[in-house]
Amino acid sequence: MEILGQLIVSGIAVGMIYGVIAFGYQLTFATSKTLNFGQGEALMLGSLVGWSLVAVTGYLLMLPIVLAFGLLQGAIVERLGVRQAIKTKSEAGWIMATIALGIIFRNLAENIWGRDALKFPSPLPEAPLSFAGINVLPMELAIVVGAIAMMVAVEVFNRRSIYGRAVVATAGDRDAAGLVGVNTSLVITFSYALSSLAAAFAGVLIAPVTLTGATMGGVLGLKGFAVAIIGGLSSGFGVVVGGLILGITENLTGFYLSTGYKDVPGLLLLLLVLSLKPSGLFGKAAIKKV
Amino acid sequence: MLANAFKTLALAALVVFPFAVSSPYYLHLLVVIMIYSVVTLGLDVVFGYTGEVSVGHAALFGIGAYTAGVLAFQLGIGFWWALPLGIVITAGFGALLALPALRVTGPYLAMVTLAFGTIVQILINEMTFLTEGPLGISLKRPVVFDWRPLADTLPFLKMSAKKMADVQFYYVVVIALVVTLVVISRLLASRYGRAFEALRDSPIACDCMGVSVYKHKVLAFVISAGFAGLGGVLFSYSELYIAPNNFGFDLSITFLLAVTMGGRKSRIGPIIGAAVVVFLPNLLADINMFRIAAGVVAVVAVAGGGIHMLRKPEQRARTAIPVALCLAFFVFAMFLERITDYKLTIFGMMILFVVFYLPNGIYGFLRAALPAGRTGGAVAGNEDAAWGTAAAASGGAALLQVDQILMQFGGLKALDRVDLSVRAGTVHGLIGPNGSGKSTMMNVLTGIYAPTAGGVKFLGQEVAGHTPSEIAGRGIARTFQNVQLFSELTLLENVMVGLQHSYSGSMADAALRTPRERREENAARDRAAGLLRFVGLDAVAHEEARNLPYGKQRLLEIARALALDPQLLLLDEPAAGLTAPDIQDLMRIIRKIRDHGITMVLIEHHMDVVMSVCDTVSVLDFGQKIAEGTPAVVQKDEKVLAAYLGGSHDTVAA
Repeated sequence: MEILGQLIVSGIAVGMIYGVIAFGYQLTFATSKTLNFGQGEALMLGSLVGWSLVAVTGYLLMLPIVLAFGLLQGAIVERLGVRQAIKTKSEAGWIMATIALGIIFRNLAENIWGRDALKFPSPLPEAPLSFAGINVLPMELAIVVGAIAMMVAVEVFNRRSIYGRAVVATAGDRDAAGLVGVNTSLVITFSYALSSLAAAFAGVLIAPVTLTGATMGGVLGLKGFAVAIIGGLSSGFGVVVGGLILGITENLTGFYLSTGYKDVPGLLLLLLVLSLKPSGLFGKAAIKKV
Repeated sequence: MLANAFKTLALAALVVFPFAVSSPYYLHLLVVIMIYSVVTLGLDVVFGYTGEVSVGHAALFGIGAYTAGVLAFQLGIGFWWALPLGIVITAGFGALLALPALRVTGPYLAMVTLAFGTIVQILINEMTFLTEGPLGISLKRPVVFDWRPLADTLPFLKMSAKKMADVQFYYVVVIALVVTLVVISRLLASRYGRAFEALRDSPIACDCMGVSVYKHKVLAFVISAGFAGLGGVLFSYSELYIAPNNFGFDLSITFLLAVTMGGRKSRIGPIIGAAVVVFLPNLLADINMFRIAAGVVAVVAVAGGGIHMLRKPEQRARTAIPVALCLAFFVFAMFLERITDYKLTIFGMMILFVVFYLPNGIYGFLRAALPAGRTGGAVAGNEDAAWGTAAAASGGAALLQVDQILMQFGGLKALDRVDLSVRAGTVHGLIGPNGSGKSTMMNVLTGIYAPTAGGVKFLGQEVAGHTPSEIAGRGIARTFQNVQLFSELTLLENVMVGLQHSYSGSMADAALRTPRERREENAARDRAAGLLRFVGLDAVAHEEARNLPYGKQRLLEIARALALDPQLLLLDEPAAGLTAPDIQDLMRIIRKIRDHGITMVLIEHHMDVVMSVCDTVSVLDFGQKIAEGTPAVVQKDEKVLAAYLGGSHDTVAA
């Protein structure tokens, strides 16, 4: 029983990270119906930039710099990879371009930071806290709190500020938003910037628990896909639940079956959800317009 | 003629190659190019024609290869059994992915296939009991036919046993490539190919022509997976050793790059692309080669860009960017010291360049430089051939019975418990101010919306909630308010998409172009020509639909809808945007359609059209039916006048 509890608790922390990545997909999908296939690399870059900074600035001062870096990185991805593809309405274009940018970022990171995994110093004590026999790392708690805080902050921004309303308006109907004076292409750039910010933030949250390195992004980006589809690409709440489901399932599979098969349930869940409820567990079915 | 000569020449070159070139290295290189071509040709069916992106073809390729490897290693079953099994098993995996992933539109297939690719690699690594895991599997090259006795009489056949096996395998791959080319070309030239292109141009119109978008997308993916499997089996026997690392994410991207770079929607493009990507690692392995290649690209770009700028000075700025990029790339190549470290960066930059500056690929680029091939042309259409065998409905009985239909979008009731009864053999007008629910009614009748409540009976059977393609299959055809043509297909092909129901042959018939397939194709072509003649478009039958003027596009939609042999035809504002003489034509056409016993529902704002062709008119306002009767009666109805002109009856009367 204690083992089960332990597996669930550590699954929650990983699941929240998946949720944050999927949240990033939602942000750009809402405004532009596109998403960054190099989102995992955005996370990796944030994490590695943080790793370089943390020795100089300390963890807290490093955070705003990493977030700013994330914003910039996302904007670059949108400008180089997505903008022109949206104009020409080419689905293949943005998918291939964001994949290509992801490959380039990973290769550059390998050349800058090397190919080996790096240990990220933890800002919190590394001794686990014990609740009823279940060990919890302080950093795992920080992940859950940090992830939720960030998603709430973005939601509040979207609902309360005039800039956020421009984002919501673009998500609702891009053409109509454009007609009432919203600079929709700027909004799309901004949503990409926010999306990479979320990823970079997730990167510095998870790095102290796992390790960091140039190759950490690929698998995490994929998990984000699974969560986004399971929860629904259009549901903010869905990614948290989807992330938890996936994080916990993986941990259970890893323990009771074999660590080698840990990544398999993600795909199975994904196919299952698509077969039963294609818009995701919490997503709304879109209405086609003729 | 020229194309046939080229094909014969290419095939002859492939046949004599092993005797002309003795180096086993080049023989092997050519084999790999041909195997990659089999995969990229298959990928083009999905990626080029339906427009869906698969980032998992390397995994499908791997499944094919491992089918061969596992069969040989675990069961001792050889090449000839692995070939069909590899194709079938890989196609099965393709179906497993495509069936759920293609239920929704959007980037889902790309996301699912990307995940699939990673998982397959993990599984191959983990399932050591089956696949030997990271160790990989070694195979032995099959000897198909021992020609050593023959070599005594034909000296050029004299070679070592190993070389003989190599050369024989080379021919097996040549045959596989030729079969792939033939099958894919025939499929794409058949109704399946037309459906693949149509669903990309307008998925909604495709469904409403009874051609299920979902079914055809899945079909395209499964076909594509089958060829990836074929390529995989061949690959395992060409390398004679396979390991999980052969089938990673980078290979999937390489396949996509090959199709894009070579040129989508062609046979030659994916082959060019395959050749380029096979040479690519060699190019990227040696810094001097790479510098020379970058120099050649820069020179070509400057020359090509310069010519383009002279021809079209107004596009100078846009042309300058890619040229500058090529030059910058050359400078980068000169400064680069250790190429292996930046191999993937170069690869990524190539993808970006191809996606944005060479979207039609090398072949597309060359074709654009040459004079255009396909231009408009006429067909000899016989109007009598146009009409199908659908039973002409007798007047009187209700063909369509709409019962208390409610269509709610959130709090808005677009249709609020509307009844409608359309008698067979009549033209039923549906009018009302903008936003009154007319088009919503059309969408409910054709299955695009499932109504919130209420029922729709067509020929006595419930159709509400069925899919658009099912409803179309039962005999309800439609046109669209905002024209929904298959813009890249010709007029004739547009109409032939509507005639899909007239085929009874299977996909095998189409792939092999059997006599039955040819007969059915000719019959469909004749009928399509007849229908074009009927709407007066036979003179431009081979023109692409997007080149038609707006008014003619509406007529083409009617011809396409008639191809379904409908009992009920829904016309959504057919006269919108038409000139006065075009409207006269339209009214003549509508009357003729009615004379053939086809019932129509007509949504229209041109009152003169409504009043002169409709037998009955229903009026909608704010989702409710406010009047119904003959045109003359409705025209004088007070509620109708108020709805159209605003205000109460009093102000109208005054």
